[in-house]
Amino acid sequence: MVIERAGRGIALLPVLAVVFLLPARSDTFGHFGAYGAIFAMVGLSMNVLVGYTGQISLGQQAFVGLGALTAANVIDTGTVAAEPFTFALGILAGVGVAAGAALVLGAIALRIQGLYLALVTLVFGGVTADAVFTIPRLNGQEAGVSAIRPDALAGEYAFYLFALAMVALCLYVDIQVRRSKIGRGLVALRENELAAQAFGVNVTGYKLIGFVISGAMAGLAGSVFAFWTQEFSDKDFTSGAGFSLALTFVVMVVVGGLGNRTGVVIAAVFFALISPSSPMLGWLSNKTHWGSFYFDHKFYISNTIGAALLLQTIVMNPGGLGQVVAPITRWFAGEPFSFHGDADTSTTGAQVADVRA
Amino acid sequence: MSELEVHGLTKKFGGLAAVGDLTMQVNEWEIVGLMGPNGAGKTTAFNCITGFYKPTGGRIYYDGQDITGMAPHRKAALGIGRTFQNVGMVKSETVLENLLTAQHTQAAYGAMAAIAGTTVVRQREREMAKHADAILELLGLTEVRDRRLGGLSYGTLKLLELGCALAVEPDLLLLDEPSSGMGPEEAHDLGLRLLALRRELGLTMLLIEHHVPLVTAVCDYVYVLDFGRLLAEGDAESIRRHPAVITAYLGEDAADEPAADR
Repeated sequence: MVIERAGRGIALLPVLAVVFLLPARSDTFGHFGAYGAIFAMVGLSMNVLVGYTGQISLGQQAFVGLGALTAANVIDTGTVAAEPFTFALGILAGVGVAAGAALVLGAIALRIQGLYLALVTLVFGGVTADAVFTIPRLNGQEAGVSAIRPDALAGEYAFYLFALAMVALCLYVDIQVRRSKIGRGLVALRENELAAQAFGVNVTGYKLIGFVISGAMAGLAGSVFAFWTQEFSDKDFTSGAGFSLALTFVVMVVVGGLGNRTGVVIAAVFFALISPSSPMLGWLSNKTHWGSFYFDHKFYISNTIGAALLLQTIVMNPGGLGQVVAPITRWFAGEPFSFHGDADTSTTGAQVADVRA
Repeated sequence: MSELEVHGLTKKFGGLAAVGDLTMQVNEWEIVGLMGPNGAGKTTAFNCITGFYKPTGGRIYYDGQDITGMAPHRKAALGIGRTFQNVGMVKSETVLENLLTAQHTQAAYGAMAAIAGTTVVRQREREMAKHADAILELLGLTEVRDRRLGGLSYGTLKLLELGCALAVEPDLLLLDEPSSGMGPEEAHDLGLRLLALRRELGLTMLLIEHHVPLVTAVCDYVYVLDFGRLLAEGDAESIRRHPAVITAYLGEDAADEPAADR
């Protein structure tokens, strides 16, 4: 038993090596890694809202943007690095504002469902970006609001480790939510609102809790994003770019597997790396002679990959990546290796149908 | 004092009164039956009592407290448990998880404590799991503890739903056709089980039921609805021979025959 456990620990080593050592080798990888971590936080925020609570959101980029906007504006460093205290304050403010906005959207979601909710969240995302983010005082007269990191996090690798810690925080919240009455209440009202009420779950309150937790995580992702780019620029979130992000967020949580945190994190990191706004593919293709081809076609390439994965997931693999990796995660959790376990995966088929509807 | 009192309950959908001027009462420790042909308004009355529908008229008192129009989750917290005609549980979760979900009102910790994962939360969760195991043992369902609901038979699900209703820790239990999908023998066992639950947990019950032997075996008093109105009331034996009841269930001709033993 001890040997077996040690074996499992050793199997984790290559994963840890990729996560910790590769970015330490070069700032480029650290920079990519932090971008992946930001997407992982957004993925987890979508997991709470879409996966557990069963509400659709096509406006998640607005919460991310609000987090970024708030963090940058609270700090507004100019050309000097932020103090650690104001840095923390900026991040907390970003989380708070995004959570507050999510509460408002949640209050609307109490009255509508399905297609109409999808439309309202879509409009919410678009309007927030185009109306709030374009206020000249908030976006530095369109030149961007600078958010220089504190000295301790100035290096790409240090900042990457910080982003990883924030992902760990989101994962911890996700795990605690799922194993407590909050997660059970959310899942119950997703699947059977009447039964949830008969069990004493306050439907109104729990839907709002789902939105607020999700908004807070997205806001955290946004705050970290502001310090990743070291400025808030409204152009990252307005019109085309914002809508593309919103779709990517929905697609990645479905491809990852609704309600499955491992799958969602893996899918989120993958989509971060292939996203047109990610530096990763550009860097990669510049290393080969594909560079100019990639930059001419980058939107087509990443959207085609996303669409293909979405179709593959819905038609052939409704549990998403989470279902694919479930035998491995179960094995790491200490169960014997088998392809047909009962744990962790089966929350998914019906929800995919919901999302499609 | 009676546990549940319903005064002139009316529920209209459009112009149609699904329940019209229903008055009934359920005393403490009683098991009361609610009968009637399909569409008589039994489930509508249930939904009004448990708060899923807002009554158009009339008042509902529980333990002397006016609970008309109160939200269902608050009634659950007061101690009114219910089951549904078409099994109301969370299908993607395991049996144990469903029983934990059903103990929602007993999970006495705040949302922030849950997210932080404090020791109080862990302690409470352990107690709830223990309570769930006790319920499973009481119902003889320990074997399926970690199975997901998807693979379970209808009879098991009905029994488990009763377990979930018990996990709410009710004083008043409303059961919507608990014996549906059961054979005569299973229904007989269910009757014994309900009587045992009353004896051991001191429960008061109101049940919608069609299975006459079960009603006769467990119900102290029976109300019969037809077209939303109260048609007859009395003890099970007298209801069984009540001409209006026989007419409602079997049609005009049957009432002329001596009461059929079904």
